[in-house]
Amino acid sequence: MTAPRTSREISRRSLFRLGGVVGAGLAFGPALAACAGPTGTPGPGTLTMALNRSLVSLDNKLNQFDAAVTVQRAVRQGLTRIGADLTPELVLAERFELTGDTQWTVQLRDGVVYSDGTPVTPQDVATALQMYQDVNGSFLASFFREWPTVEVLDERTFTMNTQLPEPNLDYLMANILITPAAANAPEELQSGVGSGPYVVTASNRGTGDYTLTRNENYWGEPAAVETVRVRFVPEESSRVVSMRSGEVDVIDTISPDSADQLAGVRDVTVERVDGLRISQLFYNFRKPADHPLANVKVRQALSLGIDGRALVDDVLVGSVTAAKGVVPEGLAGGTGNHEYTFDPRAARQMLAAEGIQDGDLELTMIWETGEFANDTSVMEAVVQMMGDIGVRSRLVQFQPGGDISLWRQGRAGDWDVLGNGFASPTGLALTMLQGMYGGTAEREATRDTYHGYVFPEIQQVITAAGTEVDPARREALLAQAQDAVWETWPCMWAFVPDAVLARRNRVGDLVLKPSNSFELSTTTLGRS
Amino acid sequence: MATYIAKRVGQSVLTLFLTITTVFVLLRLAPGDPAAAYAGPNPTTEDLERIRAQFGLDDSILVQYGTFLKGLVTGDLGTSFSFQAPALDVVLERLPYTITLAVSAIVVTALVAIPLGVWMARRADTAKEFGANLLTITGQSMPDFWSGIMLLTVFAVVVPVFPASGFTSWGGLVLPTLTIAILQIALISRMVRREMSTNMAAPYLTVARSRGVGERALTWRYAMTNSAIPVLTALGTRFAAMLNGVVVVEVVFAWPGVGSLVVRALETRDYPLIQATVLVTAALTVLVQLLIDLAYPLLDPRVRLAKTAKQKTAPAVAAPEGALA
Repeated sequence: MTAPRTSREISRRSLFRLGGVVGAGLAFGPALAACAGPTGTPGPGTLTMALNRSLVSLDNKLNQFDAAVTVQRAVRQGLTRIGADLTPELVLAERFELTGDTQWTVQLRDGVVYSDGTPVTPQDVATALQMYQDVNGSFLASFFREWPTVEVLDERTFTMNTQLPEPNLDYLMANILITPAAANAPEELQSGVGSGPYVVTASNRGTGDYTLTRNENYWGEPAAVETVRVRFVPEESSRVVSMRSGEVDVIDTISPDSADQLAGVRDVTVERVDGLRISQLFYNFRKPADHPLANVKVRQALSLGIDGRALVDDVLVGSVTAAKGVVPEGLAGGTGNHEYTFDPRAARQMLAAEGIQDGDLELTMIWETGEFANDTSVMEAVVQMMGDIGVRSRLVQFQPGGDISLWRQGRAGDWDVLGNGFASPTGLALTMLQGMYGGTAEREATRDTYHGYVFPEIQQVITAAGTEVDPARREALLAQAQDAVWETWPCMWAFVPDAVLARRNRVGDLVLKPSNSFELSTTTLGRS
Repeated sequence: MATYIAKRVGQSVLTLFLTITTVFVLLRLAPGDPAAAYAGPNPTTEDLERIRAQFGLDDSILVQYGTFLKGLVTGDLGTSFSFQAPALDVVLERLPYTITLAVSAIVVTALVAIPLGVWMARRADTAKEFGANLLTITGQSMPDFWSGIMLLTVFAVVVPVFPASGFTSWGGLVLPTLTIAILQIALISRMVRREMSTNMAAPYLTVARSRGVGERALTWRYAMTNSAIPVLTALGTRFAAMLNGVVVVEVVFAWPGVGSLVVRALETRDYPLIQATVLVTAALTVLVQLLIDLAYPLLDPRVRLAKTAKQKTAPAVAAPEGALA
């Protein structure tokens, strides 16, 4: 047995230990200090953005999620873009005019060039259109009723021609990014030059990080910020912490709770604007004729049971606006003529009048996680509200990548109400109306309508609006279509989520658009 | 030794084959449609059919499996649906980040947990050991997402000395490493303590002590040597698990490793990417296990790698020769 160590004298071993500790401190101290020094805080000429999605490419042929738009447009440009007021603005084109019922004439700006100095040509536009058309699963395909053909008139001028009038082509072309014809392909481009104010100088697909540097050959006003770093930070809490620590200047896609949290942080400003998306509790229109949901009065009654104000204020913490119609009123052509009303007493009376007593009706509500902010809380609140008017409900939640698309098509399971959303990246009410309410019997045969919504008379009005060249008449047709859709009570309730972004106060001149994007080239950087 | 290694390599290849086959089949039995995940919003049936044809998803599972095996032989694990790039390349781009984090975490764990475990064993049943025990139990009880967020809050927001996310500088390695190490140190140190306590109470140590062997030699040359194999096995197993991706930590710290990659691949039903990730991480795990087995004889001369036909499994422990010989 060893003797108990009671002595407090300094032994040789103690000295060795002390030496070891000091030595380790000397050895690792500088390394730790070096680690602790730069915390990743952006430099004075660098703007750092943290996105919730990885920029797989700077192309948008397959998909266009909000966060990518800002960066994509900084490198590649379209003939037009959708401005903050949701009207088309000219970018590569200096003229974009409807010169006939089925013809638009476009003139490229004098001197527009790519970052390598080569000029943007009409052929590049023709090729871009073809590539967007040829790619499988194009997100744009459903927005174009028909793809225009390009007829080159001279080196800067061309016409875009369609069989039927396409009065909104200037909106639609905002989503077609122009790339040199020889470098374009029917797939998402991983590299290549663009005509935007920035060029990609470093990228790492592994980390999802990109570094953009000011394009010295830019044809327009040079970008105010020299370098932009784009980082991929998928977890929202990490984006918020990075913003609070000063490590990033701009973060996007923030939940209401995080926005509230950041609003109280010094040096941080939260920007909000009505978005281009409508989120809704959509009824299943594939129900048999004798099902209660096939009855418009039942659909209306259920809607009266939803306390929209409570959902907006308490569950969604003021981060959304209750929809005033079947499309967001901010969209071009949106009317905002209608409003959801909360009247549970009237709801019960209407249900009773249709022969539905307490507990007779049970609804299955489905949704995918993350479909909208606070999704689970919203759905649970709706179940409570339905219970208050005597309707039982069952929730079925799907994880991303699961089978909800099969359910939505009615190929996997039966459901009554779907919590989901529909965006209009074109800024047009027409895009949303066509996508959700323009269903035909022919499309329903392959289950390609929006959850079985087929009303031929409404579809005809929407089609007429889509081909009407006269703006006033087009507006009237769009309003007529929205009124008609509203009367069919397609949704239990709907709301328009805000586009929300947080920026450090040193970031100036940032104008958040409804598309949840902003112009990088005009954004400035001040002192922290 | 050569025979043993050849046999283990053969076993490893079989293990990898069975693993990847199981994953291949399970993926296709799981719900979800890769075509729907790949396509833009609201695709038509025709769109989905074209995408399925493009990726060969409309073939029978057997045909898909045959194509996969053919590619496997040539090192082609297919094209990632979401990255539109060779799946193996995408995984290999992420792998260095995972290896860096795993190595860093296991080194810190070993450097702290082994001395701590020994210290606790030497002070068994004292107030100091009780205090250390309490700390390790606390470390073991803290979920890594919680400790990660706490470390972030303290060291990236309140006292901003380390980056909050990503791997933009070496400082970015500190907080994720600590988050992983807290739990691992708690587990390994308790294990070291247990092994050391057992060995320090063993008769051979009492005899050695009676023969005048010093405490330091008793601890490190006698007891620690005999505790080394289970400790090394535990460290190796933890290291192998970290190579598969420390998902929660990667997500909290936006660490661009394979763990977060596979989560994303699962969400998008990116079959080639999932398969490539599983294959690469399984290969690494098998390799680490092999290296651990090969290290046993170096740590304990009594251990002999299987060399006779009767000794099917390795390592085999030879008859004790007596520690005090």
